[in-house]
Amino acid sequence: MDSLPPAPVTAKGRVRSGVCRLSHAVVPGGLPRMSDSDAALVARTLGGDLEAYAALMTRYRDAFGRYAFHMLGNREDAQEALQDSFVRAYRALGSCREPERFGAWLFRIVVNRCRTVRRRILRHRRFDGDLTEDVPSKGARPDAFEWRDEIARALERLRPHYREAFLLRYVEELDYGEMARLTGVKEPALRMRVKRAGDQLRDLLRDVHAG
Amino acid sequence: MPADHDDETRDDTLRQAIAELRRPVALDPALEGRALARIRAGAPTHRIGSRRGLLWLGGALAAGIALALLVRPPTGSPARPGPTLATAGTQPTRAVLIRLAAPASSRVTVVGDFNDWDPAATPLRPVGDSGTWTVELHLKPGRYHYTFLIDGRRWASDPSGAPAAESDFGAPMSVLTVG
Repeated sequence: MDSLPPAPVTAKGRVRSGVCRLSHAVVPGGLPRMSDSDAALVARTLGGDLEAYAALMTRYRDAFGRYAFHMLGNREDAQEALQDSFVRAYRALGSCREPERFGAWLFRIVVNRCRTVRRRILRHRRFDGDLTEDVPSKGARPDAFEWRDEIARALERLRPHYREAFLLRYVEELDYGEMARLTGVKEPALRMRVKRAGDQLRDLLRDVHAG
Repeated sequence: MPADHDDETRDDTLRQAIAELRRPVALDPALEGRALARIRAGAPTHRIGSRRGLLWLGGALAAGIALALLVRPPTGSPARPGPTLATAGTQPTRAVLIRLAAPASSRVTVVGDFNDWDPAATPLRPVGDSGTWTVELHLKPGRYHYTFLIDGRRWASDPSGAPAAESDFGAPMSVLTVG
């Protein structure tokens, strides 16, 4: 493995303080296996093993890619957000204080990255002169859309923080405590967002579904 | 399904929609490879260039339009006492006074990362007959892109503010850093 980039820097003070479990992790040798723990793969990555990081990416790509796809509404933006998240996470890996919870740490980066990409999308739409609805109204020709497309369109009509809460709760199946840690939003507010998102989605989809 | 069920899952339509949303999404199999290539190359995390062409809306504003954006010190600063901007357990905000001299305009709004780029969300108010418009925002520390919309049709960046660095956004935007 030549021309390796510098390994991510371990957070200052972690080893000295003894808080970081990486400081006494047993790191297996050989090729990474999917059965290796997140902590083991993080340790190997910090030691300069990019194959270990590739294994981490493979482990989380599908779940987080699905979230990004539904959050952003298209594959290209979702893949960009996920790829950016992987690169950012690698560079910041030394600050991952609980490597055994690498997935949760990475997901937070993905959620934030999706928010940023979403804002960029909004910017482009505004600048392209679309100052009205982001999505055509459902009265256009609802019967012309497949069920899956209609779900995507309904999701797109939700306010981003409603959509985010709904996806985290029902698609990624997080509990409200996990959602609060991930988003920095308090549980009552998240419950309200999920409730409103559900109400709005139900209203948007009911006619299509009945038809 | 998490332990604490919500009413939403009892609705047939929503339950079927959720089942659909949980289906796998096909992603480019080369995605990790590209991420690794960027890591090896030490490439920046921001993609340069955009597949979306950004309509150039800048254009020079009429002479005489000047704009100032002032960031007030945090609440409690002896410089100017302000309202309470933070509550316990939340990240404190700072008062940001945005001011635009735009005479002969009938409506001015500011749009940015802080309001999801909603042109209707944050109107500025005229200050008497001076031709100056202002609005005070309360923002958490962070970096915000923003621009102005005049009379619902004319975009204007902040000529005296920091220009947005990202080349894929085009020019008519400014960046505000709230520390």
